[in-house]
Amino acid sequence: MEPIVITYALYLVISILLTVWVARTLSKNGRIFLVDVFSGNGHLADSVNHLLVVGFYLVNLGFISLTLKLGYLVRDAQESIEALSGKVGVVLLVLGAMHFFNLYVFSRVRRRSELMSALPPIGPDACTAVAG
Amino acid sequence: MRSLTVLYDSTCDLCRAARVWLEREPMFIPLNFVAAGTPLAKRRFPQLDVASTLRDITVIDDEGSVYRGAKAWVLCLWATRRYRAWALTLGSPRAMPAAKRFVNWVSRHRGQLGAAGWVLRRMG
Repeated sequence: MEPIVITYALYLVISILLTVWVARTLSKNGRIFLVDVFSGNGHLADSVNHLLVVGFYLVNLGFISLTLKLGYLVRDAQESIEALSGKVGVVLLVLGAMHFFNLYVFSRVRRRSELMSALPPIGPDACTAVAG
Repeated sequence: MRSLTVLYDSTCDLCRAARVWLEREPMFIPLNFVAAGTPLAKRRFPQLDVASTLRDITVIDDEGSVYRGAKAWVLCLWATRRYRAWALTLGSPRAMPAAKRFVNWVSRHRGQLGAAGWVLRRMG
């Protein structure tokens, strides 16, 4: 088999495995967070979690397949590893950025729900009768 | 807490501007504005001292709890959607003394702060 084909195959296998690993980490640990955000409603948390993970897969797999083409020929193992390293590095950075974006979304949702249920920070000065 | 009644001084420009601004804000809890010292205010809250409601902004919740001055302001901000986080910061024990001093100062000088009311109207 041509070295370039092997490089492509390795790139796909490594990137897809990385995406699956990050997505599973995200959904496993994000669930606890979302259950808290939705005040214990596990079904809603699971549903939102699943939707987020699907989006995560779509964006990452789309990115991986778009950036597959190398644009130059690979002749030996050294060049193959160099090309692979560059490609996988970019995929890792994109995965990292997506992961932090997801964390940001989670923390925003959580902050919102905390604000919704926050009690007034101060107590009353007095009490009075209210007519009609 | 389902609604809040705000007794404000309707003779002061700044207070009226603040009312207009708050009325435009999206709220978690609706505010009803009643001019302090009017027959309506006296009828609804017969036990409240009228002079004190004319001196300091007063907020009363549907259960009859009364908040005055800086506390009333914190509660109004807490009722808004956009500024609830601010209210939690301002209402914390560390920030409350400074907030009280500021609100008391503004309240004492509100007659001379008509220009601030004008700015508030433009902001809203």
